[in-house]
Amino acid sequence: MFVLLVVMALCAPLYAKHVAHTTPDRNNITGKVTVGGEQRDVVSLDGIPIGPTWQGEYLLGADQNGRDVAVRLLYGARNSMFIALTATAITTILGIILGLLAGYYRGVVDWIISRSMDVLWAIPVLLLGVALGVSLALGGVKLGPLELSGDSLWIPTLIIGVVGVVYLARPLRGEVLRLREQEFVEAARAQGASGPRIMFGEIFPNIIATVLVFFPLLVANAVLLEAALSFLGAGVRDPDPSWGTMIGEGEKVIITQPALTIAPGLMLVLTVLSLNVVGEAVREAIDPRARVRLEQ
Amino acid sequence: MRRIPPRLVGLLAATALLGFAGCGGGDDSGGSETTAAKSGGTATGYGTSFPDYLDPALSYTVDGWQTLWVAYTPLLTYKHEEGVGGSTPVPGLAEELPKITDGGKTYTLTLRKGLKYSDGSPVKASDFEHSIKRVLNLESGGSAFYQNIVGANKYLEGGKANADISGITADDATGVITIKLNEPDGTFPFALAMPFASLVPADTPFANQTKNPPPGTGSFKITAVDGTKGFTLVKNENKPAIDAIPEAKLDTLKFTIVKSAARQGQDIINNKVDYIIDPPIGEQLREARVKMKGRFREITTNSTYYMFLNTRLAPFDNKQVRQAVNYGLNKPALARLFSGLMEPACNFLPPNMEGYEKLDPCPYGDPNGEPDLAKAKQLIQQAGATGAKVTVWGNDEDETRQVTVALADQLKAIGLDARPRIVEGSVYFQTIGNQKTKAQAGFANWFQDFPHPANFMFLVDGASIQETNNQNFGNVNDPVINSTLAKINQNADLAAVAPQYAQLDKRLIDEGLVAPYGNRKLTLTTSDRIAFDQVVWHPLYNVDYTTFALKQ
Repeated sequence: MFVLLVVMALCAPLYAKHVAHTTPDRNNITGKVTVGGEQRDVVSLDGIPIGPTWQGEYLLGADQNGRDVAVRLLYGARNSMFIALTATAITTILGIILGLLAGYYRGVVDWIISRSMDVLWAIPVLLLGVALGVSLALGGVKLGPLELSGDSLWIPTLIIGVVGVVYLARPLRGEVLRLREQEFVEAARAQGASGPRIMFGEIFPNIIATVLVFFPLLVANAVLLEAALSFLGAGVRDPDPSWGTMIGEGEKVIITQPALTIAPGLMLVLTVLSLNVVGEAVREAIDPRARVRLEQ
Repeated sequence: MRRIPPRLVGLLAATALLGFAGCGGGDDSGGSETTAAKSGGTATGYGTSFPDYLDPALSYTVDGWQTLWVAYTPLLTYKHEEGVGGSTPVPGLAEELPKITDGGKTYTLTLRKGLKYSDGSPVKASDFEHSIKRVLNLESGGSAFYQNIVGANKYLEGGKANADISGITADDATGVITIKLNEPDGTFPFALAMPFASLVPADTPFANQTKNPPPGTGSFKITAVDGTKGFTLVKNENKPAIDAIPEAKLDTLKFTIVKSAARQGQDIINNKVDYIIDPPIGEQLREARVKMKGRFREITTNSTYYMFLNTRLAPFDNKQVRQAVNYGLNKPALARLFSGLMEPACNFLPPNMEGYEKLDPCPYGDPNGEPDLAKAKQLIQQAGATGAKVTVWGNDEDETRQVTVALADQLKAIGLDARPRIVEGSVYFQTIGNQKTKAQAGFANWFQDFPHPANFMFLVDGASIQETNNQNFGNVNDPVINSTLAKINQNADLAAVAPQYAQLDKRLIDEGLVAPYGNRKLTLTTSDRIAFDQVVWHPLYNVDYTTFALKQ
């Protein structure tokens, strides 16, 4: 299922060009479409968009700006995947580094990292994400050579990547604390290996399995968080499509145009379900005894 | 008037006009026979949210004003008439219009004799100064309208509620009130007619009186204020015998706050409530247009919706690019984003206001027609601006978001590389009003404070440009416009200077200094019980509750 969703997302430009004959952000408010031999307004004079036509153009209907919902759904999948995978990669890299440092060095380093994690853990992730998303959207990000405009996809990506670190760093720290007492680490230390060498040469290979189990769950979590942030106006910004923004826009016309909300909602459910199944399969394959879940 | 969140358009829009050009199918008010109505009885109404205040010194929304207007009366007021007839100040509690002397800097009025508040206490000339003091002391949104009075700023700086405002003198024995201004101000008679300047008794505390509104001199009195759940208007038996203040036809008009737009729409369609302030939405609006014969109509308001084009920044520092934008705007498409509750327009000034002269033909084509994309692209090419990057600013509130997306798409269609930039609604106008933001173009709108062109022209007056909190978002700084405004804004005889305002409006459009696309419409929706054809839609205060009457 997840592979199918990825393939659909990758094929979005082909669908848009050859089937729907539009782009994800092309407005068509005063346009018309032929449905069953009858010319119909894409958006009526009352501002009500057309519902599903079950044909190439406007398969799932239009939004209030006359944009093709099916096309935006597929492009939304691309954005969701990009953000979720990239954010999870950021989470993973930061989580591994922080977990290794805290678990291996212990003492002051562990205290600083663990208390920082506690602070992050204490703030509701969604609240933190919304606060960061809204404030960064105004002025963008300027950190030395790094410059992002307020509507860049990288802003929600970085936010989700950073706020997700606690989910990985804490369990990895525990794993590293256990591993650092193992004989193979003692042996490396006796041979004069440096701290970084032991961490990345000896301990890291032994935590890869845990990371692999966590990865799909983190991706699923990132997909949900991205959708929530976008729904609340703090994630992906117009004209870029996102399932979260599509649900938010559809909510206002949910009685007359339920497809606008149901379609992205269904995609979200399928994606998260399939990622959870993947995560479960990975866990079964690597370590059937492990019990892994993301606590919020 | 403050700019408004979309769902509150019905609550806050400051004006609406007789122009029923866009009437829905339900408008049969033009019939020759008047519905027989009775005097007395009770009607009910729904509002989406409680008015900002039910205190005349503080309320600055039309939701509040349309209630306060029928409960309080200033020295000047407006006739309870539709269209231009209701747009000109007439004597309210004053015997006649002010005598303006000293080069426009002194206003003298005389209070009518024998006036009483709704509680039976006498109205005194000195109550006027107290009423203005409350506006200033409570830091009301309306303070700015009275700071031109001599001593007003000193009063504010002093911070003492009971201190004197030296520019206002009142003689309770003769009823004569004299107001001295620092500078001549042609709009001051309109400020005197605003609800802020309504007279309240001199013992009214310097505090928000929404929970217990003070006695007034209107057709109704406000009673039964129930937290934020609702309030009731009851006929004022002590109403002064003044032509400009009509007798209320109803005994009671009871308002309840109902947040659900769907329930409001359902109840008005099913005659379970007599009146709703906000327009129905979505399918219910469509249903109202088709099915609510004789109890639904749409009214174009004195508002302007426009795209600002920052004349200080490329590519809009080029006249050809600005004109191209005007050629390229698809106004009927934008109207659909407002559920059809927008009248496409060419002028910057709204209709049915002195100073408005319809630009016909519009230099950029029929506002109700298709945009001239070929001409727009040609101008963009000639200006060498093809592919120029443009950020179109807007906020995340309902229609504004969709409109901003559509505006960016329409700029793309004429050859600019445009992207929308949506920010949070509560910080939007501060953000684009800060010069550091360098906002190139974006969504803007304005609803009148009073029916005077100066109340719109300050948005394009070079003298109003500021570094922060700038409301001249396009930094329009045209020498002709600036010098003309400096002169005509001082003239209190609006009829005399109206043609010059019209000329400035034309110049704005010809030079492409703004890109207006329409005037917002509101709806009047009542139950079958109300004599719909007798309800007056006032150009400033919207629905006139004194004209509500039950059918016989």
